[in-house]
Amino acid sequence: MSDMKKNDPRYGSLSHGDEQQLFEMIKRGASRRDVLKYFMASGATLAASGVLFGSATKAFAETPKMGGRLIMAGDQHGPNDTLDPALFTSAVDYFRGRMYYGSLTRLTDELGYEPELAEEVLSNDDATEWTFKLRKGVEFHDGKSLTADDVIYTMNRHLGEESVSKAASLVTMVDRWEKVNDHEVKAVLNSPNADLPIALGTFHFKILQEGTTDFSTAVGTGPYKVKEFAPGVRTIGTRFENFWGEGGYLDELEHYGIGDSTSRLNAFLAGDVDAMVNLPPKAIDQVEGTDGKDIWSLQAGAYVNITPRLDMEQSSNQHMWQAMQLLQDRQRLLKGVLKGQGSLGNDQPINAAYFDHCPDIPQRELDPEKAKWHWEQSGIGSTPVPVVAAEVAPGAVEQCLFMQREGQKIGANFDVKKVTTDGYWGAVWLKEPICVASWNMRPTANIMMTLAFEGSAAWNETRWNNDNFNQLLVDVRGETDPDARRQKYCDLQTMIHEENGMSLPVHRNYVDAAASYVKGRSNVPLNNFGGAESPVTLWRDA
Amino acid sequence: MLSLILKRLGIGVITVLAVSVIIFFGTKILPGDAAQIRLGQEATEANVAAMRERLGLDKSYVQQYLSWLGNFVRGDLGVSLASDTPIMNLISDRYQNTLYVAVLTAVIGVPISLTLGILAAMFPGTLYDRILTFVSVSLVAAPEFFTATLLVLLMVFVLGIGNAVVVGSADGKNVFQLIAHFALPIITLSFVIASQLIRMSRAAVLNVMSSPYIEMAILKGVPRRRIILRHALLNAIGPIVNVVALNLAYLVTGVVVVEVYFGYPGLATLIVQAVQTRDFVLIQGLGMIFCMTYVLLMLIADIAAITSNPRLRHPK
Repeated sequence: MSDMKKNDPRYGSLSHGDEQQLFEMIKRGASRRDVLKYFMASGATLAASGVLFGSATKAFAETPKMGGRLIMAGDQHGPNDTLDPALFTSAVDYFRGRMYYGSLTRLTDELGYEPELAEEVLSNDDATEWTFKLRKGVEFHDGKSLTADDVIYTMNRHLGEESVSKAASLVTMVDRWEKVNDHEVKAVLNSPNADLPIALGTFHFKILQEGTTDFSTAVGTGPYKVKEFAPGVRTIGTRFENFWGEGGYLDELEHYGIGDSTSRLNAFLAGDVDAMVNLPPKAIDQVEGTDGKDIWSLQAGAYVNITPRLDMEQSSNQHMWQAMQLLQDRQRLLKGVLKGQGSLGNDQPINAAYFDHCPDIPQRELDPEKAKWHWEQSGIGSTPVPVVAAEVAPGAVEQCLFMQREGQKIGANFDVKKVTTDGYWGAVWLKEPICVASWNMRPTANIMMTLAFEGSAAWNETRWNNDNFNQLLVDVRGETDPDARRQKYCDLQTMIHEENGMSLPVHRNYVDAAASYVKGRSNVPLNNFGGAESPVTLWRDA
Repeated sequence: MLSLILKRLGIGVITVLAVSVIIFFGTKILPGDAAQIRLGQEATEANVAAMRERLGLDKSYVQQYLSWLGNFVRGDLGVSLASDTPIMNLISDRYQNTLYVAVLTAVIGVPISLTLGILAAMFPGTLYDRILTFVSVSLVAAPEFFTATLLVLLMVFVLGIGNAVVVGSADGKNVFQLIAHFALPIITLSFVIASQLIRMSRAAVLNVMSSPYIEMAILKGVPRRRIILRHALLNAIGPIVNVVALNLAYLVTGVVVVEVYFGYPGLATLIVQAVQTRDFVLIQGLGMIFCMTYVLLMLIADIAAITSNPRLRHPK
């Protein structure tokens, strides 16, 4: 057993000079990423640097005030709202999950992890065994103390063929969970995975009490207790006085969905709710110009893309998809449709929001000349090329329409068929030769690429299958040398950029809005409301 | 009279059953199923198969329908496929929202509209009549979301009264607090139903006014007000009650736009969400409630028409 120091919150590994340097950087307003780059270069691990940054910035933060209540408005909610973490499907579920439950690890803003219910996380040398030492004195809302049995019960719900967990794919490499003693559990893996503690910090791995089968309420270890929960109506949490940690500052926290974006915006501007998710791009200027209302925007790796199936005759033509990539008017999509709340896509999923982003790949630009050459080589001519699109996310349909328009200039005829979003994921996605998709960010580059780009992955949209890529994706999971790791991730991203076939024109930010008195906003870029991590830290200033 | 009502009831039951069959197979035509949608786009085949089996979606359509029907007849609406919540719970969380708004709108909107309409019939062709006709025709043409938007703009953002969405729960409020709580939806819906009710009640009364026995009454020198309230109105009740019943049915079943706009969860939005999640058990349960509401209101309208009309009461 070697302590990987991934979650050592002390500055132990830093010299005094480094410590000074750290504070200086933060005072000057250095971003998380700057700090991480600096410390990674000096050999600290990602998570350790993350913790350093977090604890150092907290020194500059205001002290939270206790009391008051907040209403946070999500968007889509409905009768399938649930309190069963394994079945969470939507941002309102994730937010509620954070109110009522805790997890072994907590994700940090820079997508490292810090200890939560597990106060120590240890791994063996090749990351095939992970040991979690549980914090003592953690209480569930009904007064029961947290033990290893609760963790084992929770984790087993995500394993096996019979599991209906939405996040089963994140822990497929876990062979079994073992109880070491009352406050220690061990995950035994059948292949190395250095990212396991990060996966366990995501939405679905909230810790339940052993034997929980009734999810009409939630008995967790979170900072709030369920006062009221009705699916598709609302939930209200009240402060849990015996919460083990920092946080849970409000008397009451209310959360529900207002599906219609105009109504949600009206409610927010009228002061009926204190914060709202998914501010429509057209309202960004309006909110920015309103006193006492802030934009709460997070640069994220979420994206929209156009995917040609490389294994289907109509869409396998390499010159065709290369032309499609060169016909993307990325700048216009970012400015015109997303109102600047996003970043340029480079036909590969790992953008700067990910720790393992590779900055060395040249940005692909709109290039009608080159596209025209490819189109001529493709031999398609003016034969219509059907592209099926639905409004699955901002920009999803527009990316096709822009491509269609640029295509007309070079004699390409893209036939964009707009279909309804209802049933899209079941009926169209992964089935049509060319269609669109929308992806949320994943906590690590490896999880993202394993989910959607590994040759045999169920959601490998273009069916691109490159043995070198598949092998490297596995190898890098055990890579502990920072330089080698960086190089390998660059190679992986370059392969997707050049060979996968999809067009990925823009990444979109999570753009929410909050009243100025809503403090303690988290910034984990995995979902709305700060990655749904904010319930713990939110407080109300007057 | 009684046999007529029983016959109506019989037709109602058959209608409800026929609708349940149509709804069931209509749901099955839609792409995707509850298991797939519940597990989301990232579910593995094995996960979906396990979920389908758990929800009983692997049985034949006929078996699924019959088992639902068997439970329904025993008064068991079943359990939601999307969330394992009993349907009764999902409905009980929402029905009061729908009911409060429907009842309050009916209690406030219907008498006002009818009075306005009958007044217009009493003074046809006057300036008042023309303005009212113009306004109600314009309202018919305005979709609910447009009316709602104007109201929010005027009341919330200009006058600063009321909420842009319905915030909080209706529990434990008295009538006046409820009216305040649901103010904007009630006003919006009152406008929507008023346009129809005003025009129909006016037309119904005027229609009767042109009949011979009214002419006789006029010749006898009965004052106009008395003619309308005593002679004409009783005979116009049938068609008026019919329109009122139709509008009440709309208040329970057709208020999706208003519920969505003001963000309060009611039964109408629930059925839309149920369709999105392919939750046929929930769709069926709500379909039955809507269908029965409708059949019951029509039945009341028919009985009212029969009792107010001697020729129907004593058929030859």
